[in-house]
Amino acid sequence: MGAFLIKDIMLLLRDRSELLILLAMPFLLIAILGFSLRGIFSGDLEALEMDIALVSEEDEAQAVASIQSEIGEMGLPPEQAQALKQAAESASPQTMLVSLLEDENLSELVTVERMGRVQAQESLEKETVDAVITLPQGFTRDSLRNMLFGESSGGEIELLAADLSSPQTDVLDSILNEFVRTVNFEASISRLSGQESAAEVSGGIETITAREPITSFQYYTIGMAVMFVLFVGSTIAGQANMEQKQMVFDRIRLSNRSPLLYLSSKAIAAAAIVFVQLTLLFSLSALLFRTFAADSWTFWSGIAIISITLASAVGCLAALMVAITLRLESDAVPAIFSGGVISLMAFVGGSFMPLDGMPELLRAIGNWTPNGAALSAYFSWLLEPDLGQLTGPLMRIAVVAAVFLLMALALFPRKGGAA
Amino acid sequence: MLETEQLTKKFKDTVAVDDVSLVLNRGESVGLLGPNGAGKSTAIAMISTLMKPSSGDVRLNGKSVLKKPDDMRRVLGVVPQKIALYEELSAYENLKFFGRLYGLSGNKLEQRIEYVLELVGLADRKQELVKNYSGGMQRRVNLAAAMMHEPEVLIMDEPTVGIDPQSRNHLLETIRKLNRDEGMTVLYTSHYMEEVEKLCDRVYVMDHGKVIAEGTKEELKAILSDQETVLIEFDQNYPELFTKLSEIEGVQHATVEGQSLKLIIPRGTRMLAALFHEAERYGAQVINVNVQTPTLEDVFLRLTGRKLRD
Repeated sequence: MGAFLIKDIMLLLRDRSELLILLAMPFLLIAILGFSLRGIFSGDLEALEMDIALVSEEDEAQAVASIQSEIGEMGLPPEQAQALKQAAESASPQTMLVSLLEDENLSELVTVERMGRVQAQESLEKETVDAVITLPQGFTRDSLRNMLFGESSGGEIELLAADLSSPQTDVLDSILNEFVRTVNFEASISRLSGQESAAEVSGGIETITAREPITSFQYYTIGMAVMFVLFVGSTIAGQANMEQKQMVFDRIRLSNRSPLLYLSSKAIAAAAIVFVQLTLLFSLSALLFRTFAADSWTFWSGIAIISITLASAVGCLAALMVAITLRLESDAVPAIFSGGVISLMAFVGGSFMPLDGMPELLRAIGNWTPNGAALSAYFSWLLEPDLGQLTGPLMRIAVVAAVFLLMALALFPRKGGAA
Repeated sequence: MLETEQLTKKFKDTVAVDDVSLVLNRGESVGLLGPNGAGKSTAIAMISTLMKPSSGDVRLNGKSVLKKPDDMRRVLGVVPQKIALYEELSAYENLKFFGRLYGLSGNKLEQRIEYVLELVGLADRKQELVKNYSGGMQRRVNLAAAMMHEPEVLIMDEPTVGIDPQSRNHLLETIRKLNRDEGMTVLYTSHYMEEVEKLCDRVYVMDHGKVIAEGTKEELKAILSDQETVLIEFDQNYPELFTKLSEIEGVQHATVEGQSLKLIIPRGTRMLAALFHEAERYGAQVINVNVQTPTLEDVFLRLTGRKLRD
């Protein structure tokens, strides 16, 4: 096994054109895409403009007055009661939210129009607005109780969006979440799809945590890395084809080595190369573009776990391609794979752009590609280093890898006897 | 030691090897002679256990190797027609890789590499990448790689194709040395008659997938012992005259080679006068006449009606 591995790695290191494809090309693309598409990922407001309907189901002044009346009945010293009444008036959350949305900076991004619930719902259906923010009855009272007395779990904001997965909704979600954090609510924001009414999903509350958005460099470092590791599969299959054509494969067969040893060495060589490739790309990107701010062992351990899983899957993919290549005695498989299939896999896997606006089927397919699942795992880890969140994508990669391996074993021409 | 029995290989409608039976005795050097497409490489692939025959058997020391090729592969060193090496690795790295495949390691591996490199005369250039070698040097490393595990039988498929005379001589000398000095059994395939004549004790002649003759060189030449070859060189090519000369009674075979005509005629017949008379009558000028004893090339010509390199 060692002899095979050393040989495969030496061959790759001496093949400059392959090295260019595997290392230089993705790095170049990370630089180009990272710089040129920076705006889309970090504040190109034009691309994210949206119209919002704001529905308030309560009389804010009356709600504030009601709280002030409660304060008066609490028997507090007059100075303290007066201060609390003033705080209730000035910290009214509804006013603060409206001010936030109509802020000079944010007004470039969102246009807010106050509407009644029915009108807002109709506008959403007609797509004249992109989202509806509803402040339900009791929002001000609950929020102020929470802020002033710590007695309530806070107010609840409902966000109703035409497209839950659009980048605009994500941005609005973040804004509302930031608002929640700012006023120190322990509140939640209900995110509802455009097809569902608020009433139907009462109780279906998602707690939103504040998170840093993914930058263009992070996106394309990961996107290009998970795409270009796939080329290792075709490189290894190309080598196998050359070995067959040049009859080196026959020489190997004549040495009485198990054919499966040859196949497994190809898979392991591919996995090792992919892991080194990912390590180099991530390290260089982190060093030169400051892509990953996180420098904790935990963060990099998670990245390593995902990389090892992806590398294993590409190893199995390489084994499959080697098996088909040797069976067909043709270099068509690596050629077709590197010439088209990789681009297709990269597209559905989300390497070129986020798939938020794409059809559900396409996203589902993408999630089951090793690169797409790995992309998802890396992003999850980047946003929140929680091993539990990696289970899904890593399981998908493992399943796909197992399928590749089984197919490789079935198709590999064992030739244990004569021929 | 090694024998094939009625070995046959069919590819769809084509019979590449047809009922071929060969015998290689220990320490013997046997030639497999035939033009391109005669089926030599296919036969070699089956003998080497790399291709399954459609029918027939391959036996090593009396035991069939078709189902259990391991024993055969252990004693076999195969030099394929192609350069079966990694071009991006040096000769040393290639030999180290193939040596390790055969379970060699440490000092034994290093010593074996040194030995085979000395044998093929490339010890001083072992660190150069194979792709930078000349064709002849690549062929020598190709032989060295087949020698790494000290095989008892060396099977060579056209090992000198496309190389310079110096490398060719070196290679032939090496093979002769392995056979005569080290007692290695050799099966040598070629369409170069002179190589087979120089190296081999016995020869099998193949054409269209069949063995059409076999024996020692002398036995084969005896096929033409009652004949001789006359090579007549004219001042130019005379197609009409050449046709007439070929049709003179007694001429058994005629081949046009540029402005020369090669005729196989019965030994002892006085045909030259008739040939000259016809040429004179035609007004053609004879530059040179050469009467030769038959070569294996002539034998092949006689047996198949065509030249080895056609």
